[in-house]
Amino acid sequence: MRLRVHHRTEYRYPEPVSDSVNELRLYPPDTRWQKRQYAFVSVLPASRLRHYEDLNQNRTHWFEIARPHQRLVIESRAEVVTRQKVNFSAFPYGFHHDDLPRCRFREECYPFLQESAYVERTPEIWRRALDIRGGSTDVFQTSYAIMEHIYREFRYQSGATTVATRAGEVIEKRTGVCQDFAHAMVAFCRAIGIPARYVSGYFFDATRDHHLRGSEASHAWVEVYLESFGWIGLDPTNNKVVDETYLVVATGRDYREVAPVAGTYYGAGGSLMEVSVSVRRLPDGPVNGGEKDVRDLPGETVAVGKEQEPSVVSIQSVQ
Amino acid sequence: MFQFYQKESFFDEMFVGEDESVFPHYQGLRERLGRLDDAEISEKQRRVDTSFLEQGVTFTVYGDDRGTERIFPFDLIPRIIPDTEWRTIEQGLTQRIIALNLFLHDIYHDERIIKEGIVPEEVVKSAAHYRPEMRGVDVPKDIYIHICGTDLIRDAEGRYLVLEDNGRCPSGVSYLLENREAMKRAFPRLYRDYGVRPVDHYPELLLKTLRHLSPRPGQAPVCVLLTPGVYNSAYFEHTFLARKMGIEIVEGRDLIVLDGFVYMRTTRGLVQVDVIYRRLDDDFLDPVVFRDDSMLGVPGIMDAYLKGNVALANAVGTGVADDKVTYAYVPEMIRFYLDQDPILENVPTYLAWRDEDRQYMLENFPKLVVKAANESGGYGMLMGPTSTAAEREDFAAKIRQTPRNFIAQPVVSLSRHPTICGDNRIEGRHVDLRPFILYGEDIEIIPGGLTRVALRKGSLVVNSSQGGGSKDTWVLYH
Repeated sequence: MRLRVHHRTEYRYPEPVSDSVNELRLYPPDTRWQKRQYAFVSVLPASRLRHYEDLNQNRTHWFEIARPHQRLVIESRAEVVTRQKVNFSAFPYGFHHDDLPRCRFREECYPFLQESAYVERTPEIWRRALDIRGGSTDVFQTSYAIMEHIYREFRYQSGATTVATRAGEVIEKRTGVCQDFAHAMVAFCRAIGIPARYVSGYFFDATRDHHLRGSEASHAWVEVYLESFGWIGLDPTNNKVVDETYLVVATGRDYREVAPVAGTYYGAGGSLMEVSVSVRRLPDGPVNGGEKDVRDLPGETVAVGKEQEPSVVSIQSVQ
Repeated sequence: MFQFYQKESFFDEMFVGEDESVFPHYQGLRERLGRLDDAEISEKQRRVDTSFLEQGVTFTVYGDDRGTERIFPFDLIPRIIPDTEWRTIEQGLTQRIIALNLFLHDIYHDERIIKEGIVPEEVVKSAAHYRPEMRGVDVPKDIYIHICGTDLIRDAEGRYLVLEDNGRCPSGVSYLLENREAMKRAFPRLYRDYGVRPVDHYPELLLKTLRHLSPRPGQAPVCVLLTPGVYNSAYFEHTFLARKMGIEIVEGRDLIVLDGFVYMRTTRGLVQVDVIYRRLDDDFLDPVVFRDDSMLGVPGIMDAYLKGNVALANAVGTGVADDKVTYAYVPEMIRFYLDQDPILENVPTYLAWRDEDRQYMLENFPKLVVKAANESGGYGMLMGPTSTAAEREDFAAKIRQTPRNFIAQPVVSLSRHPTICGDNRIEGRHVDLRPFILYGEDIEIIPGGLTRVALRKGSLVVNSSQGGGSKDTWVLYH
């Protein structure tokens, strides 16, 4: 599926701020399942961008703006062709819980079994995870059950949590948005030894009535590790195994490692953030007959989401 | 038909090798043309020409006494671009227009690119179209170049290179749209079966781009097209676009500024204007701020613009990005602002402004094309290989006098495309390509662009004012 994404984040500050230093994780990687046609990240006020690959191999751009400014606009545009990783008529069953200890100390799994900034390991979470697992001996089946449990038992509601809410609180309240659902699922999985990581990205809502949740902004879901298959994506917000409508931007232990925009500035708090994401589907291959216009396929999703809580940590001005 | 075709040493858009084999995307066209005889070609050409003339698809040549209205010569053989090739062009142009807009924002605000030593301050500040009035001004939606026409050429290896960016008032899009209509009539079945991506939504996209800028969100924006008037060479295009978009076409005298707002005089009183698609250079826009002898502009319009009460497309001050010296720095801008390598490369450029480059220019005239930095439309140019000694003397003197105003590029052997010439013989003629980029809420590039062809044998100058013609450009779905 050929997807074109435009992600725009705008911050407005009530008073001029200065010395803004930011890191951006907005650049979709090139993998076997998604081929980047192009991707551009840009910043206003115009400033020099540089990049490095972080520990999770996410391309991370960074920039500094020393001069006072009252507005910061960060845009990324990308066109990516995605392929389905999972065969939907043969799910990757066959990896057993008994085999999990084998993976524990592998480099690609170890970090994703530990506690992290948003994900605690508590006896309560462990107990709940065991209950959800029930008698399952298969890792994929258990993971699927956890996803389904969150989808059915948790209430999707924006405003009930903030960007700082940790998994434990989400599990207790059973309420949140995609970020919280993903954290909860990561916590459950890790509690019973399934390596799980947090994924940020976009997805294209191909349903006729756009009933799926999370397509209005950047989305978050989870990947769990299956020995013979690799990482498999599960979306607890929509109870879906990740297919070609999903586009990965960054992966990490939790939100902290993949936040699309993170940084600091000097100045008063109380900034206003406005995010808009549009994911458009483009015609993928040859289309016969020149007259038919396929520019606008049905199902373009454009929306603006307002969040009160910016992910930029502000440092109160020193008088 | 192609029996006398001479490919010579140039890159040919249609023919692959020395024999008569063509690129796969030209196969169908070749077969169709092969079934035509001379009489049929003449008949098709005559019909197309007549329809252009009757519809008034014409342009004006300055400084020519033989009747100023002419039709833009149209060639029946379309230029065809396969999907994969087009995607690369599209990406390269998207990258470029983002970088140019960041550059314009930067030089009118923080000047990071100057302070970090990437682009010399003199280059920016001495550009004829640098507008100090725009310093510190936030333009609507932070977009400077909303409509850009970037000229691409192909070199001897067939690589696409950027020749120049037209970020002020690029023209030619109406010919592109009319050429398509003509082709549909001339070859209805061939067109239908070829899988050509449509272009006729351009006016719709342009209007969307303009409406995006409206300073009064929530209300239906009033957009107008501001033309210099009937004597402008592109007047046909102005009326064409206004009609297609369904907006008013106005001259300076139709607009009035009251209390910082722009109004249009209508038979039912004054109507507030939100967005002006101006086809008028900065210089003539406002006699109060710029040239005081301008009879074409609107006094006080800059005041309304700076107050944010009206949007202009393109923004004021974009001419810096048009400047041919700035052009040489675009690859550096892309690296600076976007942290990437350019997808489309520039033609190598010598700047008379740099001592060593100037020396090289003065010594190597016959190998170079010398261009004035701030001219467009093929005026103020020296074609080294065909120049006379007197012309070279003249240019050398000018370059020494004002080095900032001149650049030089090696003569790129532009790609050639089969073109119908006198007596229905098909010969290779040099072509370029001007795609049109729209930067509004999204960046949109209509598939293809205007392919211009130098009709004079051996000529490398494709400008309509210098004896160029045009072709329809087909971007395929596959």
